[in-house]
Amino acid sequence: MANDRLLPAWSSQFTPEAIRQLTAMGPLAEITPEWAWGQSRGAGVRVAVVDSGIEHDHPALEDSVCGGVAAVYDERYKGKARFEADDPPHDLSGHGTACAGIIHFISPEAELYSVRVLGRDMRGKALQFAAGLRWAIEQDMGVVNLSLSTSREEYFALFHQITDQAYFHNVVIVSAVNNIPAPSYPSLYSSVISVAAHEGHDPFTYYYNPSPPVEFGAPGIDVRVAWKDRQYLAMTGNSFAAPHISAIVALIRSKHPELTPFQIKTVLLACAANTHRS
Amino acid sequence: MDRSNSEEDPRLAGQLRRLLLSMEASGRAILPNSNQDLLQSIVEAAARIFSAAAASIALVNEKQQTLEFKVAYGEGNEAVVGMQIPLDKGIAGYVAMTGQPIAASNVQRDGRFDQEFAQTTGYVPRSILAAPLLSGDRVIAVMEVLDKIDAPSFGMQDMELLALFARQAALAIKQSQQIGQIGATLVQGLQQLAESGSAEEAAQLLPLLEKAEGEGEDREDIYRLAASFNRIASLGDAERKACLQILSAFADYAQSRKGF
Repeated sequence: MANDRLLPAWSSQFTPEAIRQLTAMGPLAEITPEWAWGQSRGAGVRVAVVDSGIEHDHPALEDSVCGGVAAVYDERYKGKARFEADDPPHDLSGHGTACAGIIHFISPEAELYSVRVLGRDMRGKALQFAAGLRWAIEQDMGVVNLSLSTSREEYFALFHQITDQAYFHNVVIVSAVNNIPAPSYPSLYSSVISVAAHEGHDPFTYYYNPSPPVEFGAPGIDVRVAWKDRQYLAMTGNSFAAPHISAIVALIRSKHPELTPFQIKTVLLACAANTHRS
Repeated sequence: MDRSNSEEDPRLAGQLRRLLLSMEASGRAILPNSNQDLLQSIVEAAARIFSAAAASIALVNEKQQTLEFKVAYGEGNEAVVGMQIPLDKGIAGYVAMTGQPIAASNVQRDGRFDQEFAQTTGYVPRSILAAPLLSGDRVIAVMEVLDKIDAPSFGMQDMELLALFARQAALAIKQSQQIGQIGATLVQGLQQLAESGSAEEAAQLLPLLEKAEGEGEDREDIYRLAASFNRIASLGDAERKACLQILSAFADYAQSRKGF
């Protein structure tokens, strides 16, 4: 995408006056939240949080964190990244813990895995990110939460290939859109579920936007989150909207393991708060 | 930097106008001569635009893996300047690592985010909005505005605006570093445009510019130049656009003049 003009803020499509009311027709109208995730607690679904790490012993996470790795930039390795064990995982900034906390709150029995791809090393950030994402796909994670992205055009094809690989590999990738009104990847690909923030706070109230690229809006403004050093903060950003959808996907996958990524996106559309049944 | 994507955006034009107005109101030159002054002007303007009690800029030091606070405005500003924090720590560290802006609130009550650091400055914020200053895709600095005066937290719109503002700030810093005496170069560049007669508004600047050049770096003329920009911008959309085009053309001119 040409980066020659400013795009509107992605979250502006989810302000109360901008949300469009949709109608589910035919069999789609039979899909309800109760059918999709009622009574589900996410059991048996593995969720990877590709981020700054996860503080495994944060009280908000209880015992949900099951393992983790860290991708480190290293030119000697394939993909210019190698993996270090990070088990039990820790978090550098708190951002990954925030995402994990949201997922655990909504999907308490999902198993969380930390894939740390952020660090002090400013070189090769996108390649660490790509390696971490690949790792999650190769591990057959049910859901991958990406509350980060790259805006570097030269990695457009690389991330496109990886997310297509995930799509065909039955791995659902949930990707927060850029907080800056500019393109970023992989959030703009159709093979992922892209998420921006809306102002609401009910964790199960999300909206579908029929004018993509950003498809879903979930709570992301003044969200109370877990943070590094066993603390809590109120945070704002699309980063915190994506884990809401990741968690709901985990609930759906737990209850309906037969559903593929595109079917899950359809279920999400049918259960969106702005979708009405005819 | 991709300058072309910002100068003509109407929202940004409004912001630029407010920036110019606020700088003029504070009696500051629109483009100070030294890098430190420029950074100081930027944080003060950021604090005003976002109705924040305090603001700061920390530069990324990749070699030492730190963020060093270079300038600050508002409460605790004297203590914060010169402080260093690890590049991966806290909200500023997250912004440095990812290039993404982020907002946090209830910092004092709910968390101890950078609390240790904040306490050494004697100032613990209730809300933080932080955005990267980018050179290409490289984060060169992190700008923070603290404590929105009229609201408990910063919203998504604040975040978007700070990101846009940070883009302009990064461009200004880069140009300042590259050009050095940017105030004098601005006058020269605009004078050539005015002489070319390419825009009526530009021609109006000529007498002022001649005086500005005659008095070298006299700040009074820079103030008057800022006033001129503001007058043009207040005449309407077309005039404001022309004004922005002049700025854009100047940037192109300055680049070609310097051969990069």
